[in-house]
Amino acid sequence: MSYREMSAWVMGALTAALGLHYLSTYLDAAQGAGGAPPAAATFIPYVIVVVAASITAQIVLAILAPKRADTPPDERERPLLDRAGHWAGVIQAVLAVTALVTFMHREDGALLFHMIVGGLILAQVAEYALQIILLRWGS
Amino acid sequence: MTGRKRPPITNRVRELRERHGQMSQAALGDAIGVTRQTVVAIEKGHYSPSLESAFRIARLFGVGVEDVFGWDEPPA
Repeated sequence: MSYREMSAWVMGALTAALGLHYLSTYLDAAQGAGGAPPAAATFIPYVIVVVAASITAQIVLAILAPKRADTPPDERERPLLDRAGHWAGVIQAVLAVTALVTFMHREDGALLFHMIVGGLILAQVAEYALQIILLRWGS
Repeated sequence: MTGRKRPPITNRVRELRERHGQMSQAALGDAIGVTRQTVVAIEKGHYSPSLESAFRIARLFGVGVEDVFGWDEPPA
């Protein structure tokens, strides 16, 4: 398994786990306060945890494979990573437009907030999944 | 994966690598600046390397580019 693929597996799993945590927080809030957007006091620490966990994961990967971590993507990997990023951007745009259309119909700002954040997380997970698929089977 | 037809490019990378003291795919990758996975893809014909990498491979084995890569299609 290449370093890029290993990194995509780790970061994808981490992002998916944090996304599921966000979803469970949203579902809890939806049952209580009608799905209100999270308070800054809980959302900002969540974002900090996401960033810190991502940096920690990258540091651990770099310690495990220092030489490979230092090497930039090669000529085969670069266009594949670009393609994964492109399609993740498309997914994010579709989800953002879906959130906006939903807002136009339901006029629920809290739902718009959750759909945008959820869309960001889903698009990121999709990018890592596409990286794994393309690095393994694409060329 | 992409649905594109692969060009009829053949190569003797594996044969030359084995002749070159059973050089490993990782060692070849390090020598020409690509990953082991890219060397695997080249050997299987799943990926056509850049002209630069093709020349690097040929020079490493002390042969010409056409001794490593070929175009396996009858002339029109």
